[in-house]
Amino acid sequence: MNRTKWEPYVWLLPSILLVSIFVVFPIFIVFKLSFSEISKSGVVGDFIGFQNYVDAVHLPAFGIVMKNTFFWVISVVGISTILGFVIALVLNQKFRGRKIARSILILPWATSLVIQASVWNYIIKYEYGNLNNILLNLGIIKQAINWRSSYQIEFIWACAVGIFVTVPFVTFCILSGLQSIDPALYEAATVDGAGFWSKLKNVTVPLVKPALTVSTVLNIIYVFNSFPIIYTMTKGAPANKTDTMITYLYMLSFYERKKGPASALSVIGFLILCVCASIYMFGVMRKEESV
Amino acid sequence: MTNPELRKKNRSSLIILAIGMLLTLAVASMPLYTYTIGESEQVNGLSLWGFIGSGTSAGMIILLTILLALFSLICGIAGLMGTWEIEYKDLSPRTKTLRGASVASALIAFLLIPAIYMANNYFFNRKRSLFLTNHLEEGSEEYLQSMDRLLFKGSAGEGIESSLRGLDIHLSGMFFLLLFTLMLMIIAAVMIRHGEIKNTLFKMLLYFFVVVVSVVTVYPYFVMLITGLRTNSETLDMFFLHILPTKWMWQNIVDILHRGVARFLLNSLLVAGGATGIAMLCGIPAAYALARMKFVGKKPFLGFVIVSQMFSPVVLLIGISQLMNTLNLNNSLLGLMLINAAFNQAFAIWLLRGTFISISPEMEEASLIDGCGTVSALTKVLAPMAAPGIVTALIFVFINAWNEYTVSTVLISSAELRPITVGITTFSSFNMIEWQYLFSASLLATIPVVILFMSIEKHLTAGLTSGGVKG
Amino acid sequence: MKKFLIMLLAAMMTFSLAACGGGSSGGGESSGGGEASGEPVELDVIICEYGPNTQNWFLGTGMDGSNFVDKFHEANPDVKLNLEVVSWNDVYTVVDTRIANNQAPDILNIDVFANYANDGLLMPVKDYCPEDLYNDFFPQFIEQSVIDGTVWAVPDLASARAMFYNVDMLKEVGVEPPKTWAELKEVSQKIKEHYNGEVYPWGIDMTTDEGQAAFAYYTWGNGGGFVDADGKWAVNSAENTEAIEFALGMINEGLTNPNPATETRYDLQDMFAAGKMAMLIAPNQLPTYVADKGGTINMATAGIPAAEGKTGSSVGVMDRVMAFKDDSAPDQAARNEAIGKFLKFFYDPENYVGWVSMEGFLPAVNSAVEALVASDESFSAWLDVLNTCQFYPTAMAEWDQVKQGVIKVEQDALAGGSVQEGLDALQAELTK
Repeated sequence: MNRTKWEPYVWLLPSILLVSIFVVFPIFIVFKLSFSEISKSGVVGDFIGFQNYVDAVHLPAFGIVMKNTFFWVISVVGISTILGFVIALVLNQKFRGRKIARSILILPWATSLVIQASVWNYIIKYEYGNLNNILLNLGIIKQAINWRSSYQIEFIWACAVGIFVTVPFVTFCILSGLQSIDPALYEAATVDGAGFWSKLKNVTVPLVKPALTVSTVLNIIYVFNSFPIIYTMTKGAPANKTDTMITYLYMLSFYERKKGPASALSVIGFLILCVCASIYMFGVMRKEESV
Repeated sequence: MTNPELRKKNRSSLIILAIGMLLTLAVASMPLYTYTIGESEQVNGLSLWGFIGSGTSAGMIILLTILLALFSLICGIAGLMGTWEIEYKDLSPRTKTLRGASVASALIAFLLIPAIYMANNYFFNRKRSLFLTNHLEEGSEEYLQSMDRLLFKGSAGEGIESSLRGLDIHLSGMFFLLLFTLMLMIIAAVMIRHGEIKNTLFKMLLYFFVVVVSVVTVYPYFVMLITGLRTNSETLDMFFLHILPTKWMWQNIVDILHRGVARFLLNSLLVAGGATGIAMLCGIPAAYALARMKFVGKKPFLGFVIVSQMFSPVVLLIGISQLMNTLNLNNSLLGLMLINAAFNQAFAIWLLRGTFISISPEMEEASLIDGCGTVSALTKVLAPMAAPGIVTALIFVFINAWNEYTVSTVLISSAELRPITVGITTFSSFNMIEWQYLFSASLLATIPVVILFMSIEKHLTAGLTSGGVKG
Repeated sequence: MKKFLIMLLAAMMTFSLAACGGGSSGGGESSGGGEASGEPVELDVIICEYGPNTQNWFLGTGMDGSNFVDKFHEANPDVKLNLEVVSWNDVYTVVDTRIANNQAPDILNIDVFANYANDGLLMPVKDYCPEDLYNDFFPQFIEQSVIDGTVWAVPDLASARAMFYNVDMLKEVGVEPPKTWAELKEVSQKIKEHYNGEVYPWGIDMTTDEGQAAFAYYTWGNGGGFVDADGKWAVNSAENTEAIEFALGMINEGLTNPNPATETRYDLQDMFAAGKMAMLIAPNQLPTYVADKGGTINMATAGIPAAEGKTGSSVGVMDRVMAFKDDSAPDQAARNEAIGKFLKFFYDPENYVGWVSMEGFLPAVNSAVEALVASDESFSAWLDVLNTCQFYPTAMAEWDQVKQGVIKVEQDALAGGSVQEGLDALQAELTK
């Protein structure tokens, strides 16, 4: 193949330009802000070194917010990946009504998170929520149930909504991977006498792995940065006990008006994500190269 | 296999199905015989038709069950007649459809039984509790009295309270019958398909799973629909009086359109469409280079795009707004398009690269040797084969841009340029959340995405079959 | 297939190009004002979304078929308004982001002002507000916007809070509206018993949005409050702790709505409108709100219950209009004059009365009182309440911190924490 040395870079150029201008520049600004003094109303002042970082780490809610973030990311990404994988396998089967089933499944994704969160917030209200309404009117329960009687339960609800909206993303990533698997491979495996599980293990999983890797890494990032669900459902109440990193730093910035520590915290979150994602990717990519 | 055996098998499957259906009907009409008044007096001998004609939801479901059972039997007989001696796999598609319909309607009829009991329980228990809390609707009294005349020949007493008192449906006893019926019907289904036990059970399980997942998924949209078409006062139904709106307010749709929702939708379409176009135009070439070419800085670039996604736009607001100011793109849809395209590059590039890698390069190489340029090798050979990946990336970028909220609130200052996500905040203002408008607008906002998805969904499956190449 | 994809991409590009053109023509240029004296002065205005009609009134057809902006342009051809109605949920994000980019609006309508004033972003009111208009404002409102003797903002509207109760319910139970905390508890218990727990006797809102209001209701009713007599922060006084613990006691005994940390004022109002709550503290718009929601509650108002031997105080909430400095404006005098024209037009009784009564708020200027009272009798009673009520100390620089601080203490206590320790920590942080 006669390709000049610079050809790949021409192909990459539009993408590089787009990302550098519209993403890297704002990131640069955040780094700058995290080392600057910022007034309560947002006026950017002088360079103050690591003071914002020191303040951020000493915030009283720092520990619980970290714990929540961890729980939130692990549970939402983990459960939605498993569920998404199962659903993708099912939707990859040939059955009547598959098209409709796929279109239905995309619904949670096709609605903005703010709306999803508002609807679920409405559904699980004790006094007028639709869940109580339906269960009562169907005669399944005898009395309205307080679905959000403690903050732990509220946080679990938030996670459930997070899973609900994340599953379609995972499903369609995996489904696109499944679709590009050559049916001949399955036929060959069947001829070799492989059963369902063995085909799953030896054909499906290895071939879906690239799609799964991408979706998982990006999912971790998106879920970590997911803001509207918790903000709409609890606003971190009571006392930041249901906040994750991203909602907490929003509250910190715009409610408590500690904008300096908030931007420091966002850089800390970025570093944590960087470390986690690069460990994961390093492992996966090395394997991929060796295949 | 000899034909008499097949014949026997087919006949017995029909008999089992018939028994199953009879049992279904028996269990379904059981509530009619188990009403009690007070504690002792048993009321028997009520006419089934009288109950069906009573207009209660339970009566209607019983009617539906009977019709389904009949339909199932007719389909079963039609599907078996004249095909007694043919193997399942050799049957004509029409016969297979008939047999399938028979099994499916038998199962649906079976599943309706709990609904009958629930509807009965609902009707009487809710009416009683509403009566006790003074929330019984007007007209219910006459209705209950006519029920009393029908069910108890007027013996339930004068007042509404006494006619409500003893109405309770016994569920125990029917439970074992239900299990037994289910067993029978599965056996019948398996036999109709000539002993393909594994496949039949698998199919049933598959449908069950799909139905459960679909119901959970559709549920919030159902809530949006029924709430979005309520009157303002009915959106907060604190005493859980109605599942469905008492008055369907189609006027709500007109109202939200008057408040600019059409304009917001158009803006969202422009932003999401533009962002998708830009993201694809930048992403496909980049992904192609990353998948097919060897060059220095490949891995760092892949890492770089991932890292670029690690900040949420919420955090980057100040930087984004400063940038847009410099570029004079504040308060413009183009600015939103570029931002959305940029924030979705990582996914587009990674997914497309993965798809391209999974496709063998033989065909393109052949076309390159044939004298095609790289560009036409990409568009004419690779792109069609990578359609599932491209479509997934496309949907992904479109949906993300469609749903973007935070950046738009800050960048867009004129009302007529707001995308729908920002636009609908006008329904949850300081003084009042107008749930009915919020939800009907949300529902409208979902429709374009679903239409887009349905129109390109088939390409998700097109993939390899159209490519015509074997790895 | 391939054709389809190409067409789709092409369509999207066309879309984006079309919108590009639309964007640049539609997007109004930001502030600065005209260079030549003949050009109109441009003013960026941000208004908060108070209710379903706000947007329509300012920009749609809500003002007798026309709207505020059009009418203003008609009357003042030398000023051009770029007016934006922003939802309360996003307004701080929008304003703070713009400020960080030196793009502050020229005129802002919001609740707080101290941070902007302390950062030197605001202009003193006397620089732009016409004398006759300034004298028209209620003086006790103007006082709330003073830092170091300078007035930085003018009030745009207010609301007053009082206790509302469901007359029929209290009559059925056979109790009088409570005046003291002990009575409140007793009445609540009776209501709870009578309705078998089906009705919440009392409403409490300790949400992240408005939990500071609950703090004010109870501490002011117990002789405490945010500040002491010298105007210094005193959040951890014994009175305050006692007051919050009283409120928590009501919650723990099941006399209130069950989830005070997430049930907002609107949830409480909805419960009241549906007849599921007997008494609550709410703003004066409650009757309008209930009517809009289709409720038919027979309601009446009373003073907010206070501790035994203490006098309760009504609670006033006020929002403001302020003008930001803009050193880049070529002609400062013309800009100030334009801002004055905006205020003059806004507070003109012909426009202002419609604005205030549209969402049922209380006015901030004397000239509007007459017309408002004529339109609705109950206004005069509320205006009396307004004269005696207390306001949050929004002029103090640490107000945001205190507001979020007391909310956190309340919510922490709801989750089992100690009130006194929380308030002590907050006070220590404030006096550090």
